[in-house]
Amino acid sequence: MDKFSLIGKNMRRVDTTSKATGEAIFSADLVLPRMLVGKVLRSPHPHAKILNIDTSGAEKLPGVMAVVTAKDTCGDKWGVFRYTQDQQFLPTEKVRYVGEEVAAVSAIDEDTALEALELINVEYEKLPAVFSVEASLMPNAPIIHDAYPNNINIHVKIDVGDVEKGFQESFYVREDSFSAPEDSYFQAEPYAVVAQFDHSGNLEIWMPNAGPHLKAKPLSNVLKIPLNKVRVRKIRIGGAFGGRSEISPADTICALLARKSQRPVKIVYSREENSICTRQAHSMNATIKTGVDKEGRVIARDITCHMDGGAYSSTGPIAVSVPFLCMEQAYRMDNVRYNGYRIFTNKPIRGMFRTHGRAFACGVDLQLDMIGEHLGINPLEMRLRNARQKGDYTPTKSYVASCGMSETIQKTGEMSKWNEKWGKLPPYHGIGIGCNSVQTGFPMGIRGGSQAFIKFNEEGGITVISGVVDNGQGNDHMLIQIAAEELGLSANDVQLINADTEVTPSDPGSYSMCETFVGGNAVRLAAQDAKKKLFKYAASALKVDCSVLDARDKKIFVKDSPDQNISMSKVVRMALSRGEAISGEGSYWPKVDPKREWVENPSGQLSETFSFGTVIVEVTVDPETGQVKVLEAWASQDVGYALNPIVIEGQFEGGLAMGGQGGMLTEFHIWNDGRVLNPTQLDYKVPLAIDMPKINNIIVETIDPNGPYGAKEAGMSIAMSAAQAYCGAICNAIGVYMNDFPLTPDKILKAIEEKDTK
Amino acid sequence: MRIQPFIYLEPKTLKEALIMLDENKEKLRIISGGTETVPLMKLRLIKPQYVMSLKRLSNLKGIREQNGKVIMGAATTLTEIIESPLMNSSFKGIVEAASSVAAPQIQNIATVAGNILQGTRCLFYNQSEVVRGGLEPCFKLKGHLCRAVQGAKRCFSVYQGDLAPILIAYKAKAKLERKGGGRTVAISELFSGNGKQPINIEGEEILTRIILPLPKNKKSGSSYQKLRMRGSIDYPLASAASVVYSDEKGSIMDVCVVIGAVGSSPKIVPITSLTKGEELSIEYIDNVAQAAYKVAETVNNQALPGLYRRKVIKVLTKRALNNCLRDIHGGR
Amino acid sequence: MEKTTKRIVKLTVNKEIHEVAINVNRTLLEVLREELALTGAKESCGQGVCGSCTVLLDGLPVRSCLLLAVEAEGRHITTIEGLSCGEKLHPLQDAFVEHHAIQCGFCSPGMILTASAFLEKNPSPTEDEIRRALSGNICRCTGYAKIIGAVKALVDSGR
Repeated sequence: MDKFSLIGKNMRRVDTTSKATGEAIFSADLVLPRMLVGKVLRSPHPHAKILNIDTSGAEKLPGVMAVVTAKDTCGDKWGVFRYTQDQQFLPTEKVRYVGEEVAAVSAIDEDTALEALELINVEYEKLPAVFSVEASLMPNAPIIHDAYPNNINIHVKIDVGDVEKGFQESFYVREDSFSAPEDSYFQAEPYAVVAQFDHSGNLEIWMPNAGPHLKAKPLSNVLKIPLNKVRVRKIRIGGAFGGRSEISPADTICALLARKSQRPVKIVYSREENSICTRQAHSMNATIKTGVDKEGRVIARDITCHMDGGAYSSTGPIAVSVPFLCMEQAYRMDNVRYNGYRIFTNKPIRGMFRTHGRAFACGVDLQLDMIGEHLGINPLEMRLRNARQKGDYTPTKSYVASCGMSETIQKTGEMSKWNEKWGKLPPYHGIGIGCNSVQTGFPMGIRGGSQAFIKFNEEGGITVISGVVDNGQGNDHMLIQIAAEELGLSANDVQLINADTEVTPSDPGSYSMCETFVGGNAVRLAAQDAKKKLFKYAASALKVDCSVLDARDKKIFVKDSPDQNISMSKVVRMALSRGEAISGEGSYWPKVDPKREWVENPSGQLSETFSFGTVIVEVTVDPETGQVKVLEAWASQDVGYALNPIVIEGQFEGGLAMGGQGGMLTEFHIWNDGRVLNPTQLDYKVPLAIDMPKINNIIVETIDPNGPYGAKEAGMSIAMSAAQAYCGAICNAIGVYMNDFPLTPDKILKAIEEKDTK
Repeated sequence: MRIQPFIYLEPKTLKEALIMLDENKEKLRIISGGTETVPLMKLRLIKPQYVMSLKRLSNLKGIREQNGKVIMGAATTLTEIIESPLMNSSFKGIVEAASSVAAPQIQNIATVAGNILQGTRCLFYNQSEVVRGGLEPCFKLKGHLCRAVQGAKRCFSVYQGDLAPILIAYKAKAKLERKGGGRTVAISELFSGNGKQPINIEGEEILTRIILPLPKNKKSGSSYQKLRMRGSIDYPLASAASVVYSDEKGSIMDVCVVIGAVGSSPKIVPITSLTKGEELSIEYIDNVAQAAYKVAETVNNQALPGLYRRKVIKVLTKRALNNCLRDIHGGR
Repeated sequence: MEKTTKRIVKLTVNKEIHEVAINVNRTLLEVLREELALTGAKESCGQGVCGSCTVLLDGLPVRSCLLLAVEAEGRHITTIEGLSCGEKLHPLQDAFVEHHAIQCGFCSPGMILTASAFLEKNPSPTEDEIRRALSGNICRCTGYAKIIGAVKALVDSGR
């Protein structure tokens, strides 16, 4: 008999049928009785004082129900961290980027709302603005936030070992710089919010989110209503990719409009608003100095990185740290220094993105290729020699409990026939490799843990109650799969109530790659708790000891003699007849160092465990046009254990498309002085079906000692290692190391021409 | 995104349509497939008072042979072109171009006339008010400056239609009708070269059909080469269309190369005529490519730099001509 | 002076006839979603690029965000809600679910409709033809691999 009945098997997800029929409801699909349309007025200036806002014209327009400005707020500044509180959602004094919210209206229909916006008169006094890190750091640059007199928002400083000594002892040292402009989320679903208040002051609000509990608390703070009166509801979500975890101005504005109008209000962002007025990824420059021994093993590394954070802090400390942390996890480097700077500019706000810092990641990896070339060591071998191993400590002192990095390198190497190809391909035909590692959750103080409940009905069916949210990656199904497995039920026997802050307990959210590890573990523990109670009754009914029992097919049975069994419903009723309603409760708090802090103390256990992955990609380049054709890709990740292999393959494939095909070939924002010139799906180019190569998925399982069934994470690593592999493959194909990403055809053609003339 | 309010006109016959056009001229915008008009209205770049639908006019459709020519109705969809046996057998290059436009969902609705008569485009112009707001209008928005090129005295918006270059290479003509009259012009004459007002059609005229010559006793080769970053959806960043005719023995008689997306109109590449019996040698093709490069004009107002797009025009021109040669001599 | 035409538009959607009183500046997408509560078609780009708004017009996939509702009068419109037959899924919907071609699901209605129309015209396509046919539909989650896989599986199964 199979060890598991559901876990480890390809299963149809519980949520996809309604998506196939169009029944699934996303925020913009919601209709509530007497609902109004909300629209936001935005700043046309990158930096300006607000002298006056005259809303009288809008207020008088028939059909307008409410108009809100900063006057309707308490003016408090919010921040993800206590030390980054810099954003009012409707600014009182000045605007800091083109597109920033200034006022909003609710009206009976969209035409009226749009007309009302045109009747709001805002008097601005334009201020000088800065649009690049260089300009922002100049001595007399305009100050964007008074609290940061030199526009340096965040400085993460990490210094481990003795870097200078390390360089002195190195056989070969090189320093290279890499850069990339912003990439951008482009979730399929543009942001939308629906809010309504009832007459007891309870707020119900729906929006795409990566953690409803992380939205509820800031909303409660900003609106000055008790937390239990803020209900962030479950809704289908069209992608997050690292975004949508923080409270958004739209959330606050929609709630304010709903309260003022005393009617439900819906705000739907256009694609442009989603691209400009939510979050983008950071642009960055990274200078990386690496020293190696004769065998190519890294002895010391010194990295300085400047990131353009845009107009507000957002999740700055995390976004500055993660690119470095992923690399310190992926590769051994005993002596390492990192100075990461996030700089304010008058541009849209930047947040954490799935491809965390392509310039950084590709820089580290490409440099390994360069070093390897110098030493006569092939890139794959360079990765193997520097790969993180199980039992290691990272430089910032995280213990690595399970690690399949080397295995992912070896398996992709074998399957792609790396050794037959590398160095032996014809001109303009190349192969490249990228390796990366991702955290599964990080310290989040009182919000770092997940709790779950399970209740039974008298037929033995259950409802799982969890704060875990599903952005489309399959978390809903994951919870059902785990609960069903533990309790011997089928997925059909399990209902799920999740991601609703009125009903479900707290959970850290889906953006730190912890939903499976933390949320899944909580559900598993809740199921085990219920199982213990069920077994007590079953044991008494079957007159055996609890220890010989197991549960499967909705029955509890004696392991060695399955004919001795009792149905789940009978056990539940037995308990009920004795005055006990069976339920389960479980909570999981990852064992991280609670004193670890991104800026103040970047040392200690960061995550309880890490995933590791490798991508190899083969490409050809058209030497006349610089265009790249991607022939094939091999993507491998140590996911701990594949709870649902087909779901994990979907994450690999999607990650490769986003980080590699898009992130390395076509995705970047174009600017005109703080204005995004390509906020649309036409001009910001995410990959299409015709562009994608054949993708081979290699799942590696190291069975993490603490993950549920050994599972870790599968959603992020491939996006980054794909970017790195694409980069390496193109550089290999043309015989030139590039350092400005993405590698668009014009840059490739230029590199080919410059090489030919030399 | 919301379209601004307008008054809708639904003529039942061409005659009625021409009267409505005559009455309202520039205040009226024709909607045929709508794939160009609707996005421009949503972005509030055009705000016509009247929108006139052609959906009731039946005689603007169809592809048929007539008196040694092929007549294509203006409202023929791109999909109808792609699936037309006549187009596939005699005008392969047009099918290539139509197949490269946008994506199937657009091709099913977009019309040949709409594609030809599309406005010029620029990253600084084709934006919603979230991006354009608070800025002084550029030339194309009836202002006095160019945002793409500092200090420029004219508009550098780019003509990115896929069909016009190959139609011009096939020496196609367009029939324009107005109340009480009409004219027939070469497709190339529809373009002013002026980014501000790129189309040479009066407010009261409507394009009703395309006329393609169908040369007899000749072999032909044709090719449409399109540069873009993705394999679908995108407009061309540079394009080259060529049509080559030979006699039945394969002796080259006529060559026409038209480049697109490298200026405010498609450009016919000035080619030295071939002497009788002259082959399209590598040297000849190189010269045409150089000539194409010379007339191509690009600035940085697209997704990739102007210098790059102009460089690639040479490559596209060569590839187009080589494909034509292969058609004629077999083996493609 | 009158700024806009308001009229009764008769739309045939999923074999049902609906009469809606609308201003003519409404797109078919808006009318389907807001007047007829058919929210399967989605707005993701608003400018006819992404395919999330795809519906079938006389069996042909079109961008409903680029069509004036009034222009769709007299044509047969099929939305994703009209693809399944009561409780029975269309084979393509079933294939998408079975082969994990759906993650967040926002692009799925448009993707499925486009694929279904394509297979009606071309029941035995090559993989390249399938990719090309679906290249007007943008998906951010799947990398398209399992979408193509689902269509191929259906073709191979001969349904």
